[in-house]
Amino acid sequence: MLDCGMHMGFNDDRRFPDFSYITQNGRLTDFLDCVIISHFHLDHCGALPYFSEMVGYDGPIYMTHPTQAICPILLEDYRKIAVDKKGEANFFTSQMIKDCMKKVVAVHLHQTVQVDDELEIKAYYAGHVLGAAMFQIKVGSESVVYTGDYNMTPDRHLGAAWIDRCRPNLLITESTYATTIRDSKRCRERDFLKKVHETVERGGKVLIPVFALGRAQELCILLETFWERMNLKVPIYFSTGLTEKANHYYKLFITWTNQKIRKTFVQRNMFEFKHIKAFDRAFADNPGPMVVFATPGMLHAGQSLQIFRKWAGNEKNMVIMPGYCVQGTVGHKILSGQRKLEMEGRQVLEVKMQVEYMSFSAHADAKGIMQLVGQAEPENVLLVHGEAKKMEFLRQKIEQEFRVSCYMPANGETVTLPTSPNIPVGISLGLLKREMAQGLLPETKKPRLLHGTLIMKDSNLRLVSSEQALKELGLAEHQLRFTCRVHLQDTRKEQETALRVYSHLKSTLKDHCVQHLPDGSVTVESILIQAAAHSEDPGTKVLLVSWTYQDEELGSFLTALLKKGLPQAPS
Amino acid sequence: MSSRVLSFSLRLAGTFAAQEDCFLYLQQGELLLGLFGEGGPQCWAAWSVPTVRSGWIQGLRSLAQHPCALHFLADSGAVDTIFSLQGDPSLFVASAASQLLVHTLALSMQAGATGCSGLWDGVWPACAQKIMGHLEESLQSTAAPQVTQALNVLTSTFGRCHSPWTETLWGQLCPLVARLLERTPIPAAHSLVDLLLSVARSPALSSSHGRLWEAVAQALRCLSPMQAGSLALGMLKLPHCPQALRVQAFGVLLQPLACVVKATAQAPGPPGCSMWPPGWLDGAEGSSLTVDTLLSSKSACVGILCQTLAQLEELQPLPQRPAPWPQEPLLGAAVTILRLCHGSATSSSSGGGRLCATLAGCVRVQRAALDFLGTLSQETRSQELEKEVFAVLSEYLGSPDSSPTVLKKAFQTTLRWLLSSPRTPGCPDLGPQPLLFLRELFPVLQKRLCSPSWEVRDSVLEFLTQLSRHWGGQADFRRALLASEVPTLTQQLLQDPESYVRASAVAAAGQLSSRGLQAAPDSPEHPQAQQGLLGELLCILSTDSEGFPRRAVVQVFTEWLRDGHADVARDTEWFIATVLQVVSQDLDWEVRVQGLELAQVFLVQRLGQPRCPYMVALPEAASATPIPEVLQSLCRLRLFDFAFRALLDCDRPVAQKACELLLFLKDKTAMCGGLQEAGDIPGSASGQVTLQRWRAGEQGQLPGDLQPEAMLALLRSTDLEGLQARLAQSSDHMEKSPQSLLQDMLATVGVLGENEADCY
Repeated sequence: MLDCGMHMGFNDDRRFPDFSYITQNGRLTDFLDCVIISHFHLDHCGALPYFSEMVGYDGPIYMTHPTQAICPILLEDYRKIAVDKKGEANFFTSQMIKDCMKKVVAVHLHQTVQVDDELEIKAYYAGHVLGAAMFQIKVGSESVVYTGDYNMTPDRHLGAAWIDRCRPNLLITESTYATTIRDSKRCRERDFLKKVHETVERGGKVLIPVFALGRAQELCILLETFWERMNLKVPIYFSTGLTEKANHYYKLFITWTNQKIRKTFVQRNMFEFKHIKAFDRAFADNPGPMVVFATPGMLHAGQSLQIFRKWAGNEKNMVIMPGYCVQGTVGHKILSGQRKLEMEGRQVLEVKMQVEYMSFSAHADAKGIMQLVGQAEPENVLLVHGEAKKMEFLRQKIEQEFRVSCYMPANGETVTLPTSPNIPVGISLGLLKREMAQGLLPETKKPRLLHGTLIMKDSNLRLVSSEQALKELGLAEHQLRFTCRVHLQDTRKEQETALRVYSHLKSTLKDHCVQHLPDGSVTVESILIQAAAHSEDPGTKVLLVSWTYQDEELGSFLTALLKKGLPQAPS
Repeated sequence: MSSRVLSFSLRLAGTFAAQEDCFLYLQQGELLLGLFGEGGPQCWAAWSVPTVRSGWIQGLRSLAQHPCALHFLADSGAVDTIFSLQGDPSLFVASAASQLLVHTLALSMQAGATGCSGLWDGVWPACAQKIMGHLEESLQSTAAPQVTQALNVLTSTFGRCHSPWTETLWGQLCPLVARLLERTPIPAAHSLVDLLLSVARSPALSSSHGRLWEAVAQALRCLSPMQAGSLALGMLKLPHCPQALRVQAFGVLLQPLACVVKATAQAPGPPGCSMWPPGWLDGAEGSSLTVDTLLSSKSACVGILCQTLAQLEELQPLPQRPAPWPQEPLLGAAVTILRLCHGSATSSSSGGGRLCATLAGCVRVQRAALDFLGTLSQETRSQELEKEVFAVLSEYLGSPDSSPTVLKKAFQTTLRWLLSSPRTPGCPDLGPQPLLFLRELFPVLQKRLCSPSWEVRDSVLEFLTQLSRHWGGQADFRRALLASEVPTLTQQLLQDPESYVRASAVAAAGQLSSRGLQAAPDSPEHPQAQQGLLGELLCILSTDSEGFPRRAVVQVFTEWLRDGHADVARDTEWFIATVLQVVSQDLDWEVRVQGLELAQVFLVQRLGQPRCPYMVALPEAASATPIPEVLQSLCRLRLFDFAFRALLDCDRPVAQKACELLLFLKDKTAMCGGLQEAGDIPGSASGQVTLQRWRAGEQGQLPGDLQPEAMLALLRSTDLEGLQARLAQSSDHMEKSPQSLLQDMLATVGVLGENEADCY
């Protein structure tokens, strides 16, 4: 199973996948060999504890080391919000998250992991967020690449996705920005900085609701650099505890960040900020301008919502939403232009502050997706994680440019792909030796046919000599001989005719073993020639030529030769 | 028109047409025929979009509520479209189509039975007849998908409808189903098993079970071991399954284990392997089939063993499980399988050798077998077998090859076996086997506590906590534990880099300490060691950057307070004041909730249990301390302050818990104290104002240093009950209000389109 996410827009049963479609009545573990998680975003891993501890999946879960470290933090965050805000009693617990994480097997990039005898997986760098990976899944000679979410352009803290020319049978790729060619990120960054700067210049406060890890770090680097360059003194705060935690993980997984960060890390850790300080609840009431990064990102609970309530009434202030907000959240409401919000306790909150939306999410755009398809050279492409209309556009482009089939199934739809798998066949040593004995070593440019018997036994195939096949299968040998009659005009006795045939062949076939047997018959290798009188015409002798299947060539040759007649005997 | 709007319109039309008058109105305008009839949406280009097909079928499902709708379905050709949608490429559409057929059949039969007697007259109504015909045709089809669809519809029908007509339905279709079993290979075996079980469970079909049992017996014989296993388990769970069939079914479940034991048996054989109860395995035709499956490939072997072990595990605790339960052979089989996986079992037979090679190191089978072994601990067992079990568990716990997930299961199973180990009546000591095992266990635990894998360290600590909770008073256990390094290592793990492990170490150290099993101090009888743990836990509570260890500390403290731990009892007030002070500053709301729990335990100890509304009022003798004195101490400890502050907490569960605590206090102090009004007492007025302002959405601070009178007055004048009711509502009621929904809908039409792509 690739990823095990949740839908953030629902609070009921629909929030988690309906796993009964996989099993009907059976146990999940019997149906799945493993679960692979591409990265720590909740739409990719949010249902994991529910799946493993409540639905009952008991097998291995694979993810990269950073995902393994960060995933439980986000799951715990999400659990606390669900229980705190929604008051949900029947929800997964901290203990369940821990038990679920105990089933995780962490993998390194480019490490081939053998899941079982048949299945192997390999992770590739995907950009997007810290620890995000694409996975190649291989069974025999067939393979699938699943991209998860990825980004083909490096950003301030992460590198670009990369994959081998692995030519999978199928590439399953996300297509969030299927039609967009993203404007330059620099423009968006400049826009962001301008807005923040203008607001603090006129004495306003800026609230940036974020999730603990990911975009938040990128924006921090951006602001830190800008503050440094402009020599600004306005305080920037980040939710307490999270800075340390985020720093800890970025330090721990420094190899997963981009080259620039890795290089400068030796002199100075880019995540140790000079201008960004830990936030205390009391600071929100301080007069004067400030910038605050607060969690959670959709203004649906906790600290960010608290600060928002305090600051919403002042038109000088600004809230910048750097990511998507699901329906029902305060973030969604203000982004859709609502200015009067009904809060708990029947109060109405009037929003006078400015509301800005800025996307910094790191997905590959259409160009990036095409680039990845070009890199991996798949036989088929399957688009997921996008909108139907946009995917249709991309599908046509991919099919045109790469001449491969591209599919975009709706949820629950089945796609069947024809493949031509390579089936390995073992060749017996005896057979090879026999081939060798015949001389002529095979050349790479000049393939040679090898004859043998194909045996399928214990679900593998072997090519052996027919004698060995008979022996292994306990079968008796039946010999198939071809017989041909050749009429010769010869009035002499049968024995004499045979002798003439013998001398003729002896002189013609220098390389073959020609024998005259005591019973009067002549042999050439396995070919037997006997002379008999014609029943009706005494002036004609009949030569019976018989040969085995293996000597078909020689047999035909001899027949043709004899049909031409014998040389006149010297008189 | 966009396909989403079209899909929505179809659903909306269906919803309207669910009312008969509305239906007639829409039909007059020919709208329904246009939307759901033969020449309807199937001819549209948008029909290729699954959302539209899904909308169509959901619309029909809403519409199918009354007899008029049934006529419409039959006459308009909609039923034929539903038939074809059963094979839709979309799983959701296909499943909805099947469900709709079941619903339509049931509705049709219900409508047909509404004569004067309300009984069915044996005539199939037109719509039902059509569906029946389709089902019969499908069951005779050579295409497996069609057979599957028909079987699924029937399974749902027998599961949902229990009216007499279902019996006739089964009577009619039973021969067709039985014929499926004669085909090779049997088509749609999985669905066939589901159908047989659904029919067997139906209360309406008790009189026609004879033919069913025949079909089941045949299925148990012909199906592959994997499929037969599910059917066998289902049969054994039935309360009224005939004995002969039970024997056959149990034989199917036992077969794979019996094969393993037989293949690996060395003459004269390990204990238990030749003691299968007579009868269960007689005439099990599947035997050779099972052996073939076991030996055919690794995945087949692993699959069938895991399934069988899980099925037997499920069966074991049920009252209707077969009797006599073959405990000993099953134990023997579980032990053998574990040994095969571990590589410590050998076999000279070729089958056994193959099994050894297949199962060696197989984590999936190890986990399944350990789970099953754990379940078997609930039964009586012989000393000899117990010895075997502990030996194999020892192997697993000590082996460097055991994976962390396997180790975790091994610890869980060990715990179950240890705790269920029989004791000699009247003797507090442990049995000989557990005792021997304990001696080997602690060195292993010691080693495992130093494992580089956090999962292993954590599992050991969890095991240790559980074991000492149950056996903390056991002399043998105490001796073995104290002779080892385990207590010291546990205390060292309080500094583990992994927060999960720190939390488990806190729980374990807390448990050991309350049982007097703490790490031996440098000099014996040294009180510093104990003080040391309390200090260390307090330090974790105030400085640990992660929530789990801090939560664990408050839990341990609450337990210590409840059990009267010596350190707490020495100066309870200091302890409470210190802990509450630290907890009130904590950023994790769960720590604050647990702090309130601790405060509540303290209050109950001082003021007595909360009054039960159903209890006859007893004189308040339970409260040991006079109330004014308690109130004084509560003020001194700033417990009031803590609770009121928590009432203003921005995290709902904290406020809820504080409310509960203050209500308890209010109830206990109702009879006591002066009659002063809140406004007359210094401090209480400003407290009131703060609470009011807070309710208006602002934040505020409570005045410090309140006196008991002021607190009592504040307590009485605050509408805690009202607050509790408000807090009990989840914040969803806001989002789910029609107002909020409408606003969201209006908003979606406008600006959001562009942003939707930036999801996550």
